[in-house]
Amino acid sequence: MTARRLSSGGHIDRSKPVKFTWDGRTMSGYAGDTLASALMAGNERIIGRSFKYHRPRGIMSAGVEESGALVTIGAGARRDPNVRATSQELYEGLVASGQNARPNVRFDLLEVNNLMSRFFSAGFYYKTFMGIPPFEWGKGTGIWMQYEKLIRRAAGMGEASREPDPDKYEHGHDHCDVLVVGSGPAGMAAALTAAEAGLDVLLVEQDSELGGSYLSDRDAEETRLATLSALTSAGVRIMNRTTAFGLYDYSVAGLLERVTDHMASPSQHTPRQRFWTVRARYTIVAAGAIERHVAFGDNDRPGVMTAHAARTYLNRFGVLPGEKIVAATNNDSTYQTAAELAHAGAAVTLLDARSAVPAALVKHAVDAGVNYRSGMAPLKAIGRKGVYSLDLAVADGDRWAANGSEACDLVLVSGGWSPVVNLMSHRGVRPVWNAENACFVPGEISEPLSLAGSAAGHWKTDDCITSGQASGASAAEALGKSAPGFKQPSVGGWDNPIKPLYEVKVPRRKLKSFVDLQNDVTAADVRLAHQEGFVSVEHLKRYTTLGMSTDQGKMGNIIGMALMADALGKSIPEVGTTTFRPPYTSISIGALSGRSVGSHFRPLRRTPMHDWNLQVGGTMMEAGLWQRPWYFARAGETITEAYIRETETVRKTVGLCDVTSLGKIAIQGPDATEFLNRIYTNPFAKLPIGKARYGIMLRDDGIVMDDGTTWRLSEADYFMTTTTAHAAKVMVWLEELLQTRWRDLKVHVTSVSEQWAGCAVAGPKSREVLEACVSDAKVMASDAFPFMGVIETELKGGIPCRIARISFSGEMAFEAYVPSDYANALMDMLWREAQKSDGCLYGTEALGALRIEKGHVTGAELDGRVTIDDAGLGKMASPKKSFIGSALRNRPELEREDRPRLVGIYPKNRSETFNAGSLLCAAGKVEGLGEGWITAVTHSPELGHWIGLGFLSGGYEAWSGQTVIAADPVRKGNIEVEIVSPHMVDPSGERMHG
Amino acid sequence: MVERLSALAGHYEVGRFGESGDVGVTLTEVRDLTLHQVAAWPETLKPVGNKAARAIGARAAPGPCQALEREKGALLRIEPLKWWLFGVEAPALKPKEGATLDLSHSRTHVRVSGPQAKAFLNRLLPFDLREEAFPVGSVGSTALHHVGLTLWRSEVGYELFMPRGFALSLWETLVETAAQFGAEVA
Repeated sequence: MTARRLSSGGHIDRSKPVKFTWDGRTMSGYAGDTLASALMAGNERIIGRSFKYHRPRGIMSAGVEESGALVTIGAGARRDPNVRATSQELYEGLVASGQNARPNVRFDLLEVNNLMSRFFSAGFYYKTFMGIPPFEWGKGTGIWMQYEKLIRRAAGMGEASREPDPDKYEHGHDHCDVLVVGSGPAGMAAALTAAEAGLDVLLVEQDSELGGSYLSDRDAEETRLATLSALTSAGVRIMNRTTAFGLYDYSVAGLLERVTDHMASPSQHTPRQRFWTVRARYTIVAAGAIERHVAFGDNDRPGVMTAHAARTYLNRFGVLPGEKIVAATNNDSTYQTAAELAHAGAAVTLLDARSAVPAALVKHAVDAGVNYRSGMAPLKAIGRKGVYSLDLAVADGDRWAANGSEACDLVLVSGGWSPVVNLMSHRGVRPVWNAENACFVPGEISEPLSLAGSAAGHWKTDDCITSGQASGASAAEALGKSAPGFKQPSVGGWDNPIKPLYEVKVPRRKLKSFVDLQNDVTAADVRLAHQEGFVSVEHLKRYTTLGMSTDQGKMGNIIGMALMADALGKSIPEVGTTTFRPPYTSISIGALSGRSVGSHFRPLRRTPMHDWNLQVGGTMMEAGLWQRPWYFARAGETITEAYIRETETVRKTVGLCDVTSLGKIAIQGPDATEFLNRIYTNPFAKLPIGKARYGIMLRDDGIVMDDGTTWRLSEADYFMTTTTAHAAKVMVWLEELLQTRWRDLKVHVTSVSEQWAGCAVAGPKSREVLEACVSDAKVMASDAFPFMGVIETELKGGIPCRIARISFSGEMAFEAYVPSDYANALMDMLWREAQKSDGCLYGTEALGALRIEKGHVTGAELDGRVTIDDAGLGKMASPKKSFIGSALRNRPELEREDRPRLVGIYPKNRSETFNAGSLLCAAGKVEGLGEGWITAVTHSPELGHWIGLGFLSGGYEAWSGQTVIAADPVRKGNIEVEIVSPHMVDPSGERMHG
Repeated sequence: MVERLSALAGHYEVGRFGESGDVGVTLTEVRDLTLHQVAAWPETLKPVGNKAARAIGARAAPGPCQALEREKGALLRIEPLKWWLFGVEAPALKPKEGATLDLSHSRTHVRVSGPQAKAFLNRLLPFDLREEAFPVGSVGSTALHHVGLTLWRSEVGYELFMPRGFALSLWETLVETAAQFGAEVA
């Protein structure tokens, strides 16, 4: 190939030279170039190395279907592999390099693979290296595992950076009446028609420039600009550099916008790419058609390219891609290209596989100086790093016969056109084979969706425009607007029928003819797959890798199917096609994650005293989305020392703990009491105003759902607390019951978790601390404020506050809630007073220790398998009323005596410890799942040794006096334990009642 | 009376940031929110709505997904049987009429204004904000980075009511996203 830049023509700006580097060498192109056009203008031939055989590859197309010129863009952390040079815009300072080659694409040592290619047929590695005889007979694939790493390294594409991605990405959402995909003649016409009918139209184009095939047409610029300006006046919203990569249910489209990939120095504030979710009421796909190549000998050599691509390089980029060109075709579309290339100064020979072509068409080419030969096809490209000659074949009935050769530096191929039906395929619309035009066209569509232009199989520009107008009018009609009537033209449009041509071969001549260039799949591979029994196209795809990887069969799929059909003696529609799935072109992982990265991977939920907790030395932990204080270590303390001290302090004096994360729900209405009585297992009908009650709620199936306290504030006003973990679940459940099951109940439930900040004040000195904080100390007096009492009062400084005397720690304790904006004031006040009593702040670790000592259950125990009896709380299930779960909790299986029940656990040797998660097994029977499990373990300062909670069949009475094994086979081994009542500290509850 | 402390306190930096040039997006935290929920029963919807409306000096309550703004405050219809009263105290209701609830501390109120406000919000909200779909006076429930929030388009901008516990995390996302438009925290 001897390509050169022409002195005029094209859409490039010759006044703006752009410098870039290719494999370390500085080169120059112009603004408006792609990397491919600039490399071609610089007469670079070898741009890539093939996937498996490391064969040299050049530029083979001018679009997203490119499978030869795949390069790596950028360096370091910004290295982006497998970029199609044909769709990478050139910018000042762009750094591009070859990939899958050592040391470089022009001289690649791994090309040795090509010499052995006769062995590297489909399935070669698996057949050769898996279960290698005789070493691995019957022994699996251990050796393969070792080979695999080397093989995978030798094959493949570019390498991604291993550094963190320094770029930002984001998501976007948009809505429109009509989404038009593709801005060629059809897309523009569709958008204009729909917009003029009064619809909100969004037109997306994957290219940097709008116009589609207009851009490759030397005479269409005026039309293109006029249409563009009409689109703008009609209010069409336009997004370029944006690919519609997938269509989904309910007219949702996924778009990828490449925001800065074409910029030399983008702003640090601009994301690199945007992942758009567009909700359209109607979608028109005018995504065009892709020109196919033909399988013939060495059809992958640098210098072999699709025919229309040459027209694009000539008319859009002002590059004459060769001086002595042979163009081989089987359809009408190549004649204009051949004429234009000849007109631009190349010597062009046009081979048409068809024997009879009307004189008018031929005359057009011949008049331009094209050397025309009918009934001819390419047989084998000659040359290794570039083509210098083409062996020819002549039609011989249905076969081909070798017939001389033609010197050339560029071979252009057109094997027909394939409409881009990928997006339809995402919607489950099966394409239908159109034999007359030798292509798949979209089948019946039952959605607000249509195809226009060459994507629907229209070949002439005028037909494409009409087709776009008709689709735009259909959209308008579907959305209740009136539009002028347009009729969809019939499919096709060539003056002379195409002659199907997928492969050129002659008897007794071995050729390496590629079907899928990106995956190095040859015609022989397809036939081998057939011989070995892979007769379904889906199997063919997996076995040969035909149509996989980044190009998803854009160029090779049809040829593969045609060869398989031929081998099977069937027609192409009988063989069928594989299903296209999103994405149409590849999407970076960064764009998928958007801004959900780093500390925003999930939203952080902070309590109102979050900063306060940090200021006083708290270490935080994640509890679901919440950040909760874990422990408050003093200087030099470990977590263990800290939580033991905190636990001791609570039992001795007083401790403060941020409990804001508990779920809080306002339950209001005249039927609130009845509602609570139905959802809780224990009676709530007679809870007096100013009192709280502990309650358990079950699921319908009788399993425990959640527990918490509910406070009665007034006749029709309750305040419920739930566990942190189940707050949202309970809220949704209550709302569901009211909206679906008990619509007659006058009750409103509202989450007030964010309205109230809560602090537990626990320990013998808790009353004193609160007395000093409330405006009127009398409200805290023992007789005024008994166990389970509730008051609504005011703290000093006029802060409204609600306090309940409830205890999770087993000590005398209160939970105090203030409106969230006063949380810091609350903590300042409580902490000042608590310090006077030698109190402490405590976190979830001490909270856990305190509750384990008391045998209070939490989410660790209430894991969705546990009944109220299993949890040892059976007495809380009222036998006198019906409540959610009351029927199914009495199923025999849930009432068995040997069900795992809540137990307390001590190590037999008190100096030992054991792990949560261990299985509990009978002594001498450490096997299977054992008899139970351990849910929680802590050091108990009160008892002076480690203790735990767990479940054991039959409960603690059944195991008293027996040795049980806590089996932890992968960590600690077996530890002997004793089983005790779960109420390990102050079982009678004197302290909290006191 | 002790002063209220916002969820963004200590993290709210007033000033210009991001892209230079015109300010496309202005973010303002509206502090000391007064917000009350007014809930009715199906048969008391109209009288309770009227009571709520009178609290802001209007005669009748707005319909679904609508807001009514008066000098004193605003009334937002957030659910079939519920309104939010913004800026004023709730009227007294008997249980048989309905229920009121103080939610003043439950939300962090951020106003998004400026010529690029819509474009900016659609980078985060999967919501149709086109003029005809969401004109001034509209109310909607949507989600920002997985967190549900209430959105009201007032005369001066888009009013976001974000759950207080998530507010700082969402604020960081808002600020980061706004930078590309040329932004300002007022």
